[in-house]
Amino acid sequence: MNALEGNAVQATARFHYMDNLRALAMLSGVIFHAALAYSPLLHPFFPTADRAQSFVVDVGIWFLHLFRMPLFFVVAGFFACMLVQRRGLGGFFGNRLKRIALPFVIFWPLVHLALSWSTVHAAASVQHPSPMLVMIQQFMQMEDAPTLPPGTGHLWFLYYLMIFYVLIWSARSMGLQRLDDSLRKLGPIWHLGLLPLVLVPALAAVSAPHPAPESLLPQFWALGFYAPFFAYGYLLFGQEDWLARARRIAPWLLLASIALYAVFLQLLAGQTYDAEDPSASLALAVLEAYISVWMTLVCLVAGRALLNRSNRVLRYLADASYWTYIIHLPVLFAIQYALMDLDWHWGLKFSVALIATSGICLLSYPLVVRGRFLTALVGSRAPAASAVSG
Amino acid sequence: MSAFEINTPVIRQLIVKDWILFQKQLALCVTAGIVALCLIGMAKGWSFYLGSLLLIIVLVSAACFSISTSMLVERKDQTLAFVMSLPVSPLDYYLAKLVGSLITFLAPFLVILVGTVAVILLTPLPDGLLMLALLLFGHVLLAYSVSLCVAMAVESEGWNIFAMVGSMVLINPMIMLIGQIKSISSHFEGDHVVWNAPAISILLTQLIVSIAVLLITGWVHTRKKSFY
Repeated sequence: MNALEGNAVQATARFHYMDNLRALAMLSGVIFHAALAYSPLLHPFFPTADRAQSFVVDVGIWFLHLFRMPLFFVVAGFFACMLVQRRGLGGFFGNRLKRIALPFVIFWPLVHLALSWSTVHAAASVQHPSPMLVMIQQFMQMEDAPTLPPGTGHLWFLYYLMIFYVLIWSARSMGLQRLDDSLRKLGPIWHLGLLPLVLVPALAAVSAPHPAPESLLPQFWALGFYAPFFAYGYLLFGQEDWLARARRIAPWLLLASIALYAVFLQLLAGQTYDAEDPSASLALAVLEAYISVWMTLVCLVAGRALLNRSNRVLRYLADASYWTYIIHLPVLFAIQYALMDLDWHWGLKFSVALIATSGICLLSYPLVVRGRFLTALVGSRAPAASAVSG
Repeated sequence: MSAFEINTPVIRQLIVKDWILFQKQLALCVTAGIVALCLIGMAKGWSFYLGSLLLIIVLVSAACFSISTSMLVERKDQTLAFVMSLPVSPLDYYLAKLVGSLITFLAPFLVILVGTVAVILLTPLPDGLLMLALLLFGHVLLAYSVSLCVAMAVESEGWNIFAMVGSMVLINPMIMLIGQIKSISSHFEGDHVVWNAPAISILLTQLIVSIAVLLITGWVHTRKKSFY
């Protein structure tokens, strides 16, 4: 096979491990959001925060939080590069308009309305409200209550993806492909040692653990943190051998990340925030940066080794994950508001909320999406081409 | 060939050419626009001021780049002689330049306009600011139309630069002037957009004059045998 044929195969083949990693990143978002209600750290700020809570939740979910969306953006960058090579910029933007911009425009107001309605209803009816619900109750009783500016909610990732796609076009128009080549030539030490340092200023600009950039205006810190992951994924396309080379060090990176996370939790417990400037300490930002890069790489290596295959279950999860992620939060909130007054153990509440939300979202996929108009937007058609080992 | 017959395929090619040549500058403008929105999103007084200023710079740059790429550079590189050797009339060329320039200018202009309206209406900023923003956008549109017409009517590079810089710099006195009109400026910090007669009159004047200068230039070109 000559080089030209090799590139053609690369551009048309299916990367099962990337598909599956994207699905995992999306579906673990449901776990993450379900667990937030039982997190002591987020108790004052989360609408469905429950009386039942546990430190164990904080230990688990903030570790996941540090690399879940970075991994998602690496995968998104990887597929963006594949689409550009396969369809050209015009075809790429047409596809992204349909798969990212249109779902955002359609689902953002629906999700916003559903969340607002269930939250207002909960504020009026729940007997054991969270601090956030208490605040909303007080707002509702005010005559001249200030209206909160609408945010992008949990669909912020679609908003940032659109910005990154525009930046791909900008970079190509300004002839930055040469920079691509230089970055691709950098060795593992640069990737693993210096890339995290690029992220530190962004992470030091916000509180730790870093929040979701839900504002309708783009945030510098979010661009500074997620854009390098997206760019990394973009550059990774066609260079998947690099993941094979990184396989040897992946277990060490996992151990090092766990060790750094233990330090992160220690520092987090002693962290005091200034209300005027709630940004993280430099040490916390450095730890977040290294854990996010190293764990993202561990996930990529593990995904390539274990998930580079497709069967009916994986295929279904990969197909339904986008739809599930988009609609899960209103469903989850409605269930968790209903659970707030029950005297159950946090583990039981968490399990019920998670299973019910996942069940409703995953099972609604064939009923609402597959074979219908929504397939083109948030679903998936028949599998194409063969798997690539990367 | 009558003065009103147009060669659509060649016009389309010329528009595509202008669009391709403009992409690099447009990419710069779009990137600067994202940076400006980020600055505004920092929700601090200084960053809001800096972000707004950067947005105005982006708008003015897009206008100037659009005219310069499609008209002035083409003249400097002496490609006009080649273009005019194609089967195009002065009207065809005028239309190609008009539509090409309008597309390259209006693409960033409308994106920034919609973004600005969204920022003002959907964030805690006072909604009354929308009128100031619209009047400033109206001024840039008028300045662009005048500059474009000068570029199409006058060959001198000096006069073209003067028209572009002069009309765009007038945005400063424009801001001062709007500030002096109490019936408009007194509502800037209010929670509602006030559409009163003075504001609507200025907006309509900007719009009508913008369209009028473009139409007059077109009418002049239908009567010409050569572009200049």
